Amino acid sequence: MSQNDPVVVIRDLTKRYGRFTALEGLTLSLDRGRILGLIGPNGAGKTTTIRILVGLARPTSGSATIAGADCLREARAIKRLVGYMPDSFGSYDNMRVREYLDFFGAAFRIARSARIRRVAEVMDVAGATYMQDRYVESLSFGMKQRVAIARTLLHDPQVLILDEPASGLDPQARIEMREILLRLAESGKTLIVTSHILPELSRICDQVAILTRGRLRAFGTLEEITRQISPQRTIEVQLAAPDQVAQAAAVVRGAVEPDSEVAGSEAESLVRFRTAKSEAELGGLLAQLVAAGVAVTQYRELQSDLEDAFLSVTRQDAGTNHLHAPATAGRGAAGRPSGDDS
Amino acid sequence: MSNPIVQRELLGLLRTRRALVLQVGFAAALALLVVLRWPTDARVELSGAQSRQVFRLFGYGLLAGLIVLAPAFPATSVVREKRSGTLALLLNSDLGPWSIYFGKLAAMLGFVLLLLVISFPSAAACYATGGISLWGDLGTLYGLLVLAALQYTALGLLVSSYAGSSDAALRITYAAVLFLSVVTLGPHLFLQGNSGLYPELAEQLRCLSPIPAVMETLGQMDVGSHGFPAAGGVARRYALWASVTTALGALATIGRLNYRMLDRARPQGKITDERSGAVRFLRRLMYLVDPQRRKAAIGTFTNPVMVKEFRSRRFGRFHWILRLVAACALVSLLLTYAATVGTLDWGVETIGGIMVLLQVALIVLLTPSLAAGLISSELEGGGWDLLRMTPLRTDSILFGKLASVTSTLVLILFATLPGYLVMLWIRPEMWGQISHVLIGLALLAVFALMLSAAVSSFFRRTAPATTTAYALLVGLCAGTMLVWLGRDAPFGHAAVETALKTNPLATALSVIETPGFTDYELVPANWWFMGWASALCLLILLVQTWRLTRPR
Repeated sequence: MSQNDPVVVIRDLTKRYGRFTALEGLTLSLDRGRILGLIGPNGAGKTTTIRILVGLARPTSGSATIAGADCLREARAIKRLVGYMPDSFGSYDNMRVREYLDFFGAAFRIARSARIRRVAEVMDVAGATYMQDRYVESLSFGMKQRVAIARTLLHDPQVLILDEPASGLDPQARIEMREILLRLAESGKTLIVTSHILPELSRICDQVAILTRGRLRAFGTLEEITRQISPQRTIEVQLAAPDQVAQAAAVVRGAVEPDSEVAGSEAESLVRFRTAKSEAELGGLLAQLVAAGVAVTQYRELQSDLEDAFLSVTRQDAGTNHLHAPATAGRGAAGRPSGDDS
Repeated sequence: MSNPIVQRELLGLLRTRRALVLQVGFAAALALLVVLRWPTDARVELSGAQSRQVFRLFGYGLLAGLIVLAPAFPATSVVREKRSGTLALLLNSDLGPWSIYFGKLAAMLGFVLLLLVISFPSAAACYATGGISLWGDLGTLYGLLVLAALQYTALGLLVSSYAGSSDAALRITYAAVLFLSVVTLGPHLFLQGNSGLYPELAEQLRCLSPIPAVMETLGQMDVGSHGFPAAGGVARRYALWASVTTALGALATIGRLNYRMLDRARPQGKITDERSGAVRFLRRLMYLVDPQRRKAAIGTFTNPVMVKEFRSRRFGRFHWILRLVAACALVSLLLTYAATVGTLDWGVETIGGIMVLLQVALIVLLTPSLAAGLISSELEGGGWDLLRMTPLRTDSILFGKLASVTSTLVLILFATLPGYLVMLWIRPEMWGQISHVLIGLALLAVFALMLSAAVSSFFRRTAPATTTAYALLVGLCAGTMLVWLGRDAPFGHAAVETALKTNPLATALSVIETPGFTDYELVPANWWFMGWASALCLLILLVQTWRLTRPR
């Protein structure tokens, strides 16, 4: 396979446990050196997807390949290609960090002298060198996560699949974990990461897949996903004086779609609205405001984030159609209380 | 049930499938014992001897069941809560240590009492045969068994409050129960018939065990007394000692139920290599194999799973094994020395019998501890999936795990060989017997290993796997001895011989010509049985492990 081919290819992957469908028709692909964030509420099918990818679970139908190797039929090749970090650490009693890594290195058939060097290298990459003589069962959660990262790197896999690597970490450890993951991606590794901590994922992921109830609801870059979920954009107009809020809101209402939300806040001297209008049309609206004598100090689009996208998808999945409604309460214009609507 | 712990623990336990299996199995086993000896003759025996035989079998069966089952649940009760963090929640609640303790005690005891209630139909059947008094025999037997249950429950809870893991708690509790029930009988066996302080202490010590008290109630006080008159009142003294030990155990456990149990710093992982020369020297003397030294990387051609098992096992780390080996060698030599210089006039056969008993006890006690967690501990700790993600093949994983236990067992069994060597030196004509005993013991070790490992592959937690392995092994080695206890009356020679052919302990005793076992021809039938049973267990283990390594 060429360097430009996708490293991870999942086609129509379905997994059923009796009558319960854990995963249905999942299809996606991931290029080399990219980081894919797999997000979804509890029970969405993230761990099932991961377990199929690493060969621990058998799909009911569909296929998955990593670097051309079939995840089900070529188990030995997959073990060499993939570094898997499950959500539980897998601790052994009475073993020190160095011995623990040495064991897994030996299990991957790394020759003794090369293994001694490799263990030192991976501990360095994961920032775990200082704890090499500590017993693994006595490590704090953050320390264990570092050791787990080091363990996944031992056999120098092409793809790293990490289940909740940032879960339970303090803010400092989370930043450090993020840096480690970014460094790994820069070194050419392909990463699939699940997490519930969405701001963390949005900072590192090139692509995001949102799963709910076993189905893929959105897939692409963060920008693509936000567009995919909601074609409307949130625009914020900052005014010089609060007494112009009502006038500005009236101008905006006249220019945007009839069902668009327009909210004004005199306390903040601003007007926010959601619209599907093009860039040119938005430029025309600004000209209208200026022509009407409204003193505009700022005119900008508010960026939707991963949390907005995720909540939007999960709400939609829950049956309440919020696709065009405010994404979050307290975030972005549409999320503001509408009591200020003038 | 005003104490919420009673409700949670007892109802929680009763809702499990395990509890149902235990109850049904226990009732069925007791019913089987009674049915086996149910009189088929149309004549009524006025002496009541026949009904006594049935009652004895029932009584010993009930006691054996209690010894195996009663410690299992209390042993894991506190440590499980400690590990899962719920003990901190309990200690932080309005429930004081007394409420927590008595809640647990009542719940665990409640389950054992339920087992005793389940035995009532079998007891009623014994009573119906006549010749047994309701209160004098049945009442006393049940009273003693309730006391034994209380004693073992208190002991289990005490051990549980100290242990660091459920399987360690189980091991220590079963070892303590074995000590209380069997080892306490040893000194009396040696010193009976003498007078003075030590014989008197030995007489009191054996009253810690429920076995002499139950034997007295069943009218078999003279078994093992070598013709010496048996002292009476054992049941009363057992009642006193059981109450005292239970109260002491309860106080000690209640004293531990506070925040200090959880107020522990994480071990910092001191390395001997970085300590002073004097400390290193002292530790070398103390440990021989220092567990805190920095270990070398695993060799390229060594099975990594085997090394991992040696390094990480919760029980049986190398420095302890070496100490055990030394103790075994010493006891073995002392026993043989005592027999050969005539300190004890029991003859080589009896001494040989005691050595066989000790070796079987070692195998039965150690093997499940070493092997019942081989697979289950990996599943419990999350290591199994990590192993599956390595290129190690299933057979390689299994080989590493089995080899680590085998080498430990071989080491321990070899440590007991010096005693036999001295025996051979004194009486070279015993070579045939000793070689047969050693073959039998080796087969028992293999069977115990395969059985424990096979059991391990069916459980996701080590504690129930260890309990099940213990129950099966003790059932095989001690359960069939119930039939031997009823030899000639009620069981005939053929029935006893058939039952003993499945028992490796009886086979070894028969080979070494221990009194009571000389009439039975158990070799090679027992070897075939052990061989096929081991092969079956290995097959089950292979299939189960293969199944566990497949994508699910």
